[in-house]
Amino acid sequence: MRRKGRKNLSLLLAAAMGSTVLLSGCGDPYDGKTHIEIINYKQEATEYFDALEDEFNATHDDIHLTIDSPNDASTILRTRFIREDYPDIIGIGGDINYSYYIDAEILADVSDYPGLADIKQSYLDIGEALEIVPTEGTYGVPYAANAAGVLYNRDMFEEHGWEIPTTWDELIALCEEIQAEGILPLEFGFLDRWTCLAPWNALAVDLAPSDVCKQVNRGETTFTEEYREAAEKYIQLIEYGPDDPVAYSYNDACTAFARGEAAMYPIGSYAVPQILSVNPDMNIDSFVMPGSNDPEENTLNSGIDLQFCVTAACPNKEAAYEVLDFLLQDDVVQQYITDQNSIPCKEGDFELASQLDGMMEYIESGNMTDYQDHYYPSEMAVDGQLQTFVQSKDVDAFLERFDREWPRYNRDIIRTTEEYEAEHSSSAE
Amino acid sequence: MKNDRKRTFLLITLPILALFVVFNTVPLIRGVIYSFTNFKGFGSYDWLGFQNYIDLFQDSRVGGSYLFTFKLAIVATIVTNVIALILALGLNSKIRAKGFFRGMYFIPNVLGALVVGYIFRYLFTYILPAFGQAIGSETLSGSMLSNVNLAWVAIVIVCAWQAIAMNTIIYISGLQTVPEDIYEAGALDGATGWKKFRHLTFPLIMPFFTINMVLCVKNFLMVFDQIMSMTQGGPSQSTESISYLIYNNGVSGGQFGFQSANAVIFFIVIVAISAAQMSASSKKEEQL
Amino acid sequence: MKSKGINKTNKPAMILLILGLSTIIFPLYMAIVIAFKQPSEMTNDISGILSLPKNWSFSNFAQAMEVTDFWRSLGNSLMITIVTVVLCMLIHSLMGYAIGRNRAHSKFYKFVYLFVVSGMFVPFAILMMPLAKQTAEMGLANWAGVIILYVVFYMPMNVLLYSGYLVNIPVALEEAARVDGASTWRTYWSIIFPIMKPMHATVAIITALAVWNDVMTPLIIMAGTGQNTLPLAQLNFQTQFGTNYNLAFASYLLALLPILIFYVICQKQIMNGVVNGAVK
Repeated sequence: MRRKGRKNLSLLLAAAMGSTVLLSGCGDPYDGKTHIEIINYKQEATEYFDALEDEFNATHDDIHLTIDSPNDASTILRTRFIREDYPDIIGIGGDINYSYYIDAEILADVSDYPGLADIKQSYLDIGEALEIVPTEGTYGVPYAANAAGVLYNRDMFEEHGWEIPTTWDELIALCEEIQAEGILPLEFGFLDRWTCLAPWNALAVDLAPSDVCKQVNRGETTFTEEYREAAEKYIQLIEYGPDDPVAYSYNDACTAFARGEAAMYPIGSYAVPQILSVNPDMNIDSFVMPGSNDPEENTLNSGIDLQFCVTAACPNKEAAYEVLDFLLQDDVVQQYITDQNSIPCKEGDFELASQLDGMMEYIESGNMTDYQDHYYPSEMAVDGQLQTFVQSKDVDAFLERFDREWPRYNRDIIRTTEEYEAEHSSSAE
Repeated sequence: MKNDRKRTFLLITLPILALFVVFNTVPLIRGVIYSFTNFKGFGSYDWLGFQNYIDLFQDSRVGGSYLFTFKLAIVATIVTNVIALILALGLNSKIRAKGFFRGMYFIPNVLGALVVGYIFRYLFTYILPAFGQAIGSETLSGSMLSNVNLAWVAIVIVCAWQAIAMNTIIYISGLQTVPEDIYEAGALDGATGWKKFRHLTFPLIMPFFTINMVLCVKNFLMVFDQIMSMTQGGPSQSTESISYLIYNNGVSGGQFGFQSANAVIFFIVIVAISAAQMSASSKKEEQL
Repeated sequence: MKSKGINKTNKPAMILLILGLSTIIFPLYMAIVIAFKQPSEMTNDISGILSLPKNWSFSNFAQAMEVTDFWRSLGNSLMITIVTVVLCMLIHSLMGYAIGRNRAHSKFYKFVYLFVVSGMFVPFAILMMPLAKQTAEMGLANWAGVIILYVVFYMPMNVLLYSGYLVNIPVALEEAARVDGASTWRTYWSIIFPIMKPMHATVAIITALAVWNDVMTPLIIMAGTGQNTLPLAQLNFQTQFGTNYNLAFASYLLALLPILIFYVICQKQIMNGVVNGAVK
């Protein structure tokens, strides 16, 4: 009786602590199998990867696979890296985060992975270019690529007899023509900041050197010089969109385009599944953004949309490779590209979605250039700057800010590059 | 006996104090340490000295977030307190169904700010523009949330919508401490309406006014949920609150070190404001 | 003028209050009608959105429960809130007791008091990044870590409340028990703890409301663990809702419902608790 109070409290505390232990370390839930965890940033492919996970686990006795495709995966990945709690494989895009992760030695060198032999060289090159300083190794297995250009409503185009533009002037003339018929030429959904980048990238690859960021890092040029034309044309393009493009989200824009409220939508191929989910019968095709008046200069904006990287912390690389083998089977790849309307990075005879018809010529000839934004540090928030630009329409201010802020956000990269160059040139002498 | 008492107090205090130190003081110190590095949150890092702090004062985005946060805190505090005071006077006057009204007006306070933000985002994106078109108002026919000049107003509205409930209840409890005979005495002197409020009621509920000011300013300076659900800092980074920027760039944007420096400055600002508020209010109460 | 009709209702105030009420009810009304409608009923004009649904169907709610894994998030939220509240009442009242009884004559306790209470000025923003790292290092990147953090975050406020309340409880009460040979520890639980009941109610209400609605702490600590609290689930499933606002609103309402039910049941206690906490 005397100590009842104390006992009760300590019991409660013990219970609380006990359940903590129970939940945090509940033994081995995978019956001694090797566990491979994938965190994949393609949230839109959740259902596809869920099915794949089941299929893998049904056919493999020694490995248990889990694939997570969380919302806002990049934040989740960062948070897990902050916690030093690394998944075995990460599915990420070929962007600056990939560069950072290589630099931070989070990713393992997979150049000994036999499956790399089947990956198209052009995509391996894109991956190599993303390394801040050239390395010996290979850190990602490119899986699927996407392309950004202009999606158009094929039925609407046929009905009105509109032609696919191949130069900038033709595009503007087309927009005028569409507008004259009382139809909205272009759809935008700039409330989601990242969508501001889609038309920007598509224009910038035509009008600026592909390695402009690296050139600036070496102090050879400025963005004001290289990006002016792209910036001016960007604003010109926005004029043919909805009155207040920043009012609508990506989802809103996809829905509006699916309902036939606009003739064209400058966005990536990844938007097609979203659009078809609203209107499954819609007849969509795409064309390459004709940023330049010289058709020769125009190039398809395409980059690695999904690549799989094994983390350095993964304890069982063999098992990870087995999972990669499974993912790279031809029928699995085919299923993915059909599902996600994307372009395979693997060599082979794959059937591409009809929505990419208009880009086929560029894909087959390899006339592709990586997204400019894959070199922009995410914390610099170029997407937000573009959103500001859309509203202010002030080309000079946009370019001036870009040049002003770039060195600060890239200070570490510039220094690493300089160090590398210094070392490299001295050893060459 | 006396020693037993002393020992018990110490045995109670030390473990709890240790818990507090481990999860409050230690991370605070670590935050300060990170603020001198270029840590991304992962990988290796270098010591930068005061470089982050120097950058901080030249960063237009950080500056913008302070401007926005203070603008929001000041305007929302004023709006909230004015409306809450009027409501409290109304709810405290001779009305029917007093309990029902008080109950209804308090509802926003118990709801989660994130979900409230989502509901209002829809309202501002779809309902209000339709209303604006109907009455032929140019500014209201677009979405407030996409308008660089108006998005912050929308945030103020939602913040106030939730905070008014709390402040009203506090003012009501203040009004109930005002004895009825003071009004009767005042009525003899001819104090009615505004005069009565200004010279009789308000001085008596002054302490409650102070509480509300302190509560409001502190909560609004930390605003996060509403930003997360309504604008994510947009349009054009015009509604990035300090907390949101620290979270967004620090945790998911790879500026762990830089935003730690920002957080340190924010901490100092909060402490300074709290100290100023406390000394100001204690002075005022002395005067009364 | 008013003193004339002491028993008369104040008509202008009534009218104003009823008008004002619409600002509270309208957003909630909108949320309810949208949640019960099908996407096909959502025409582009405002009347299509705001009219009553043709048939009140719960299918959106069923779907929302499935999409957001409602019961598990609800379970997490309930568990985190209840355990936090219980621990806060036990731990913070003890701390308040130790400090309240010694603050006046002991420099050490005075320092502890000021040290802990000054924690109120530490914004979460400065703690969140180091905490994300620290909780993981300690194996606490889970709901248990979230609970511990809450117990620490609300400690300054609650210790202030408890130790302030304790001033009104005479030491003589304890001395009587001590004469009977009870230890300080036992005296606390048998006499002081029950006497602080009104303060327990205040602490419980304030802590519960704050914990239940908090997004930031679970966002930082539990992100990527596959676990959600009810508000966090709304954030994490935003993209799944897409443009299906009907589904989204059904989910929002489900997230608001538990606290609304709690409010309807304990309205008086909640209001009193909130006022007590703020005024003290």
